Amino acid sequence: MKFPIALALALAVSAFVGAPALAEETGPLKPIDVKPALADLGKRMFYDTRLSGDDTLACASCHQPGKAFTDGEALSRAYSGAGHFRNAPTLANVGYRAAWLHDGRLGTNLNDVAREMITETYLMNMDMRIMQERMKQDPVYVEMFAAAGMSEPSNGGARNALQAFMQTIVSHGAPVDTGAMSTAARRGQGLFEGKAGCAGCHSGPRYTDDAPHNTGVSDNPEIWANPERHSAFVAYAKFMGIENYMNLREDLGAYLRTHRDADRRSFLTPTLRELTWTAPYMHNGVLATLDAVVAFYDAGGGDDPLKDPRLRPLNLVPSEKADLIAFLEALSGETFDTDAYVWRADDYGYEVIENWRETTN
Amino acid sequence: MTVTKLLPVLLAATWLAGAAHAAGDRPAELAPLGPPPIPADNPSTPEKVELGKMLFFDPILSGNYGMPCSACHLPDAGWAILDRISFGYPGTTHWRNSQTIINSAYYSKLFWAGSSKSLEAQARSAARGGVAGNGEDDMMEARLAFVPDYRWRFAAVFGDDWPNIRHAYAAIAAFERTLVQTDTPFDAYMRGDDDALTEAQKRGLDLFAGKANCIACHNGALLSDEQYHNLGVPPYAGWEDDELAQITFRFELYAKGSTEKMYRTTKDDPGLYFRTKDARHKGKFRTPSLRYTKYTYPYMHNGMLETLRDVVEFYNAGGGENEFADTKSPLIQPLGLSDAEVDDLVAFIESLSGDEILIDEPELPEMQPLPAVVRN
Repeated sequence: MKFPIALALALAVSAFVGAPALAEETGPLKPIDVKPALADLGKRMFYDTRLSGDDTLACASCHQPGKAFTDGEALSRAYSGAGHFRNAPTLANVGYRAAWLHDGRLGTNLNDVAREMITETYLMNMDMRIMQERMKQDPVYVEMFAAAGMSEPSNGGARNALQAFMQTIVSHGAPVDTGAMSTAARRGQGLFEGKAGCAGCHSGPRYTDDAPHNTGVSDNPEIWANPERHSAFVAYAKFMGIENYMNLREDLGAYLRTHRDADRRSFLTPTLRELTWTAPYMHNGVLATLDAVVAFYDAGGGDDPLKDPRLRPLNLVPSEKADLIAFLEALSGETFDTDAYVWRADDYGYEVIENWRETTN
Repeated sequence: MTVTKLLPVLLAATWLAGAAHAAGDRPAELAPLGPPPIPADNPSTPEKVELGKMLFFDPILSGNYGMPCSACHLPDAGWAILDRISFGYPGTTHWRNSQTIINSAYYSKLFWAGSSKSLEAQARSAARGGVAGNGEDDMMEARLAFVPDYRWRFAAVFGDDWPNIRHAYAAIAAFERTLVQTDTPFDAYMRGDDDALTEAQKRGLDLFAGKANCIACHNGALLSDEQYHNLGVPPYAGWEDDELAQITFRFELYAKGSTEKMYRTTKDDPGLYFRTKDARHKGKFRTPSLRYTKYTYPYMHNGMLETLRDVVEFYNAGGGENEFADTKSPLIQPLGLSDAEVDDLVAFIESLSGDEILIDEPELPEMQPLPAVVRN
């Protein structure tokens, strides 16, 4: 973790926190305009394990296209010798977010997110100066950077390309957008916006207010039982300037960046799009199914003194729960496991630069 | 060899030899090796050395929990790697020859271009370097806290509440300061035992201090002047045909600080230049000790010379050529040694190595869950 990055993040995050969430209408998401050649380059990089220090992890290791770019695990895998302490979030519509990571720590842009994921010691642990030279050793990248209008592979160009690819990951074909919702789902939408109060936070076209809330989600004890996960958390909490980080046994969420007591254990509202692909749920994956999520909110959320006061028992009857789930399912669209989002060619390799002494580096 | 060919060589050799060295003398420029210096800010204790020994072998001090110090400094490979270039972190290769740990305690600066001022600093740089340990201090320090055995050892040795990563490097340095060899045949000879060297080795010593003038740079008890010289060692051959080596070479040019022009055109290791940014220092590397070299082949900063005899013949030919011709040391001139003299010189250099130093590797403790502190 590099200190100047932390400073930039702190500034960026404070700017983000000051911006009020905009009330937006729901509806289909419009594609983001990106340069196709740049996005194509980013797509190839997204599936390339050489973006990690020891050549074992690609972005796609934890953000798999067949799971709406999640990994199906409660707690994500991490770099060799480490383990993650949070659930891998979906990248569906990730280009529309105002802040990233469950605690909202990154509030600038996807270029910074890409850098953070690649360089973070417990994630991909990559010295990007080595990554740049790796790409220059792969003729396919040399060609693709040129096609995208760049003179040669570079770190900045690589991050821009990953950003462009991520901006192409946009939901499509969800019944809520096509109008092909069942009557149960329509009844569920009424509950969602009415009696169940979900829309209080899950608002706008991505069904999130992009703000942190404490819903009382219980701790995931696996973090503390597993030294590889726990030690990664310690390194993170220490980096974020948390006092007494060795004795912490809870993920403090947005507090880790704000250091405001009121933010303890609050996490950004996740998007609800694509959630049929993205189980298990919550920032730490403790809820395995949508049934469990609806039951959790029906009970008024979890048990936490700082819980958002809007969370109260909902007293939903079984048919209402079923309707609500039908609506939630209608927020998921077509799979991303298609050629548009997956680099299918197994063409990753290096080539020796012949006539090396006569060739410009 | 005809007289006309021999004459310039003799003249050069006489000029190089400087003060005349009489056969059979013990040269004043050389000395037996005493105990290593122990820095005042890192005193040695048996407990610290034991901790350092564990950490030296423990992959916990690396990015992937897989690359201990010992990965590239193997006890049964001369505490180095018996290859031109160290293999480096997974997915990469290194770009310089792994140096032996034996007698590293005596150097005032570490690494081939002297970029670390202490063993403590060297351990940290190696644990963190992108083509070495690729670790990050916060993460490695966090991991140490999860090893009960390390918690009590760091507390006992350093008084740490939780293991401090700086103390890990201090302990490793303390261990390395025990890896010295002061009882070679050469040392016995220099201490007065006339029979410690063979006749061939004594003739080799005379050449070393005289005609071959090795002593101009390989002097003192360590047989190193700790200065930086360009001998014209040819560039690492792997840069021609190994894609990972080409990647690492450019990375080092970029990471260690090069002008755009240098980055684009340099095809050999600029060495000391990276530390001083002075063009006169390109291609210069610190004179290595000749001790323990029996076990640390191949030789030179990039391992391009396979045997000790290759090294002697390299000097006999007046060194070699690389792209930094402007900085090549004028001390390096053809020596005109006969085959028999080369044999004697190699025999002498072998007297600078004693028995191979091997140890029992420690049992390594593992990370355990860390129970919450019970507060009253």
